[in-house]
Amino acid sequence: MQENQEEYSIIIDDVYKTFNVYLDKANTIKEKLLFLFSRNRKEKREVLKGINAKIKKGEVVALIGTNGSGKSTLLKLLTKIIYPNKGRIETHGKLTSLLELGAGFHPDFSGRENIYFNASIFGLTKKEIDDRLEDIIEFSELQNFIDNPVRTYSSGMYMRLAFSVAINVDADILLIDEILSVGDEHFQNKCFDKMLELKNQGKTMVFVTHSMESVRKLCNRTIWLCDGKIKMDGDTEKVVDEYIKAIS
Amino acid sequence: MLNVFKNLYNYRELLKTNVKKEIRGKYKNSFLGVIWSFLNPLLQIAVYAIVFQMILKNPQENYVVFLCCGLIPWTFFSTSISRSAFTMIENGNILKKVYFPREILPISVVTSEAVNFLISTIIIFAFVIFSGIGITKYILVYPLIFIAQYLLLLAISFIVSSVCVYVRDLQHFIGIFLQLLFYATPIVYSVETLPPEAAWILKLNPMTYIIEGYRDIFYNQTMPDIQSILILIAIVLVAIVIGYLIFNKLQKGFAEEL
Repeated sequence: MQENQEEYSIIIDDVYKTFNVYLDKANTIKEKLLFLFSRNRKEKREVLKGINAKIKKGEVVALIGTNGSGKSTLLKLLTKIIYPNKGRIETHGKLTSLLELGAGFHPDFSGRENIYFNASIFGLTKKEIDDRLEDIIEFSELQNFIDNPVRTYSSGMYMRLAFSVAINVDADILLIDEILSVGDEHFQNKCFDKMLELKNQGKTMVFVTHSMESVRKLCNRTIWLCDGKIKMDGDTEKVVDEYIKAIS
Repeated sequence: MLNVFKNLYNYRELLKTNVKKEIRGKYKNSFLGVIWSFLNPLLQIAVYAIVFQMILKNPQENYVVFLCCGLIPWTFFSTSISRSAFTMIENGNILKKVYFPREILPISVVTSEAVNFLISTIIIFAFVIFSGIGITKYILVYPLIFIAQYLLLLAISFIVSSVCVYVRDLQHFIGIFLQLLFYATPIVYSVETLPPEAAWILKLNPMTYIIEGYRDIFYNQTMPDIQSILILIAIVLVAIVIGYLIFNKLQKGFAEEL
């Protein structure tokens, strides 16, 4: 067991996730009582059916698959926003997710204040944020706007700030959902370079993306999810080739 | 259990900014700002003093001071609980998007209300001094009673905030329940005025001991019943553990239920 902790960043052990899809959600006691007698309004949707994977420290893994195959659900499970119905997920090391950029941004506060809010949600202390503040602002290229309220930002600027905070958290594990659509081309390239840099630093990363091009460039391992199961898991080139064949 | 504290310690900055945001946000956009922290309880005291002293002729000596020793801690109690009921739903957006220790939310509700209460304590001091009652050495027990109340609220807040996610009715029920509890706590009257047959109800109410404690310190100027306060703290510590366990069980479904 001790050996696992050293070697693996993420262990996913036979994970099942089922969502209750309420066609008409009961929130009150009265409704809940009534619904006891008419169960047909609820349906169960199995999203993940027995996922097994171990991700080593420093591995950069892509999760690919068509819409609804469970990629994002798996990422959410890894961040502990939701929990599996069955099975076990272990993560070792500080984890940051870039699932929803800008969570906790408050439109009335300035960019600088929002950096503090956002970074504290990621679990940084005041001092750690102080140390990173310059890097964050520089990376976002928002020096001239950093003291303006965030509501005055364009959506691109907003995302740039959010991404800059998330990427500077210094986590050991990064979970990233379709981020390479942040900002203009210049900023996208910059993000990409930053990803490569983090990869070379030996960070563990899990990507969800539909861009096969970036998967090939960035990831050494790819997991193909199909209908809540792992269809293929292995070397990026092989898996991506098979995947492209299957969907075209 | 140790992990819980470690996790909270790691996220202390979030707790701090959250508490600050709640305190600052409370009177944001209002003309008088922080002054409301004083004005609110003062006006409340005025309302109850008019009703119970002038209309219902409560014979209690220095009734306004008597009232303020009960009413201000009560406000701390009731606003903490009613805000706990809404905190998860208000923060639903963030809960669905990022991970952070969920217990930060109820803790910061209670803590920000505690800060508010500490500020309002100035009012109690002002009343005690200007009415000529004065301050005695018993004031040293004040922190102990404050801690007892803070811990009690934490325990309740854990349970209320998490259960409300699943059963939204509770929010409405809590409003009525607090109103009932207000009269089942010796705030506008003293325990002695009750017939003994009814007094046992007050004995079951933890807020009775806390408000009696504050009142002993400030109004009666006697040593509060330390023994019952300590027993209360012991019970409350157990309640916190139970409350946390319930919270922890329920929090796993927050993102899906909200």
